[in-house]
Amino acid sequence: MRRSLWEILNLRYPFILALILLILAIIINLSLQPNLLQREILNSNMRVFLPMILLAVGQSIVLLGGGIDISVGGIVSIVNAILATQVGLNGSPELMWKFVAVSLLVGIIAGVINGFFIAILRLQPIITTYATSFLYGGFALFILPQPGGGIPMDIANLYRNTMPFNLPLAFFILPLVLLAWWFITASRFGRYLFAVGGKPEAAYETAVPVTSVIFSTYVISGFMAALSGIAITMLTGSGNAEIGGLMTLTSITAAVVGGTAMSGGVGGVAGPMLGAITLGLLQNIISFSNINTWWQTFVNASIIVAALAAPGVIDLIGRRRS
Amino acid sequence: MAISLSAQNIVKRYGAVVALADGNLDIHSGEVVALIGANGSGKSTLSKGINGVVVLDGGQLLLDGKPVQFSSPHAARDMGISTVFQELSLIPQMSVEDNIWLGREPLRSGGLVNKKAVREKTEELVALFEKAFKTKIRPEMPVGWLSPDEKQIIEILKAVSADPRILILDEATASLDSRQVQRLFGLVQKWKEEGKAIVFVSHRMEEIFQIGDRYTVLRNGRTVGAGMMKDLNEGELISMMIDKASVLKYSRKTKIEEVKVASQEVYVKVNNMHNDVLQGVSFEVYRGELLGLGGLHGQGQRELLHALFGDIPFQGSVSIEGKPVHFRHPKDAIKHKIALVPGDRSKEGLLIIRSILENLLLPSWKEYRFPLRMKKAFQDGGKIGKSLNLVMAGLDEPVSSLSGGNAQKVVVGKWLNRQPQLLLMDDPTKGVDVGTKTDFYILLSKLCDEGKTIILYSSDDEELLGLCDRVLVMHDGMIRTELSGKSLNKHQLLTASLGASNESVG
Repeated sequence: MRRSLWEILNLRYPFILALILLILAIIINLSLQPNLLQREILNSNMRVFLPMILLAVGQSIVLLGGGIDISVGGIVSIVNAILATQVGLNGSPELMWKFVAVSLLVGIIAGVINGFFIAILRLQPIITTYATSFLYGGFALFILPQPGGGIPMDIANLYRNTMPFNLPLAFFILPLVLLAWWFITASRFGRYLFAVGGKPEAAYETAVPVTSVIFSTYVISGFMAALSGIAITMLTGSGNAEIGGLMTLTSITAAVVGGTAMSGGVGGVAGPMLGAITLGLLQNIISFSNINTWWQTFVNASIIVAALAAPGVIDLIGRRRS
Repeated sequence: MAISLSAQNIVKRYGAVVALADGNLDIHSGEVVALIGANGSGKSTLSKGINGVVVLDGGQLLLDGKPVQFSSPHAARDMGISTVFQELSLIPQMSVEDNIWLGREPLRSGGLVNKKAVREKTEELVALFEKAFKTKIRPEMPVGWLSPDEKQIIEILKAVSADPRILILDEATASLDSRQVQRLFGLVQKWKEEGKAIVFVSHRMEEIFQIGDRYTVLRNGRTVGAGMMKDLNEGELISMMIDKASVLKYSRKTKIEEVKVASQEVYVKVNNMHNDVLQGVSFEVYRGELLGLGGLHGQGQRELLHALFGDIPFQGSVSIEGKPVHFRHPKDAIKHKIALVPGDRSKEGLLIIRSILENLLLPSWKEYRFPLRMKKAFQDGGKIGKSLNLVMAGLDEPVSSLSGGNAQKVVVGKWLNRQPQLLLMDDPTKGVDVGTKTDFYILLSKLCDEGKTIILYSSDDEELLGLCDRVLVMHDGMIRTELSGKSLNKHQLLTASLGASNESVG
């Protein structure tokens, strides 16, 4: 069968669409904000984008395995609430690092709960994580009913202003995440992940441990959500139990823009990273153009609806032709 | 490397249906055993029994003389038994190489997949079928891009890559062309010499005779014969597959003996119907006729019925009573008084959790106005129930409470209210007990006597012989043979289904 150049490119480089969109976004953003690529501006942008990038990576791994995780925003909120209440504005660095470790553990536990319901009890991912998102979000509000609290300024500044070799901190964290992803794809687990997301019955017939692969995707996603929560807390320096609420939809949008199929088994992690940056720039563009921020949510939701509808629409056009 | 597997007195039941009553099969190194049988004789079940896909209800397996039990396909694979599945076990989004080696990737010392080894080994495997592929197969291509025959070959390579001692080929040649089959047979010959044992399940007579060393014939779930292939011919083999005694003693009394007499009026005429599956089907049905569709499973019978119902697209022409029609939606077909009794009644035929009444009146609620005249609905439902001889606790009971046969009566019953003139039936008695089957046959006979026309596909040859005026035997999306009158007998039907040459039939 003849395949178009686009299909072949997409196969080799699943992040290609995300890269093109990113370049477009950079060009548009540059025209509105010519100093975008200056060191300081670059750093202030990247530190804002990093929490979403981490969240999108976790989300993509769940999507690749054929699931979806609506509860990531709730996990971000819990982590933020824990750090803001337990460390406090005058906490010591030791206390901070102790609760960073606790936060990561909480993220993993939240992922284990999702994984238990979805992989072991075989409940629907979308319903299950929608329900647990309220569980986690509610728990965050229980810990921190009103916005307040925070972490010490100098610890927050560590995240905001550390610039090794005069480059934003994100430029060092992202390669680490990519390296971890490369490690996954180069191991058997990576093959299992794509197989389970692609066609679980066939994977099962081929002796792939389907249950444990699905389970682990939610644990990874919970862990990444906790990292994202730590990053966003250090970025803002303060506590707000509703901070993660709007991040779930954006994380799914970033994954989809990054070439990860919502039907599972297709995509990667590099694309969603670029997707998250693109959506961040989009937010910049919207605020520079003096458009209502409501448009940001509208654009995110439209991208998801379009991504969901695309296979059906293509099928419909195909049927019309025949 | 020498291996032997002996399956003895294997029993497998699916609910009340006995798929395998007494299956016996012996496999030895360096031999190809052909597993042969008509539709529903149990050959697929037997092969699934020895590769661990189904759990056996009785009998035993001896591997190299020792009793074994396989709880899953993996357990069987670990013992050196690989299967080429009929429904492929490939993941369309993944590449050829990742599919072949899934779960068995060669690893480097660090635990990472050795991509170079995967690529090399894949290229070696693909080279086995080098000249038989229509396009060049590259290891990094997603399997979803390949054509059905190429996917089938990849499935074969996946089974072979485990270097099994026993290789089961379950209808593995069904989607291959003759050159690919010959290439496969060349490899089978080689594997045989290497000491592998091969089980070859196929319907194609010429292939069975070309590749088989020994045969095992199944009939109605029992092994009825085994021996050396060279000791018998096609005719003898077919005789062995035919059950001499009828299980089902139903025969329609009012069969039309000579269909093509002038008094018969053509009701539906189909000319050169084409789509993905159908390869040019033309035939005529007469008013009041019960026309059978025969042949092996999946030769286009289902597609033909659904195309006539406007459910799947096709090219070609259809006319009803001389007027050309082309249905694009089932509602057009229903308007022309056509009804479909689909194959999967719990999915396509019924709302399984809703009541019997709701199901019976589903196509005709319009007649009950607003608010629905429930009293009349119950009266009508009761009437249909009685005319169908429906065994039920009440019209309010959910359809799921009915036995398979009675549920199927509801599928037919829901159309009767609308006075259909043409009924399309897709294997309606599958999984129905014998008693209810007879009820069903009486119903079909009555409908035909009332002047309704029926096109019936059945996987049960007895049923076609007992009920139908004519039978069209389908193969590869085409009508291969038309049988009627004297030629409508078991032997002819099976011979035509298998595509055996007529001369060899004694």
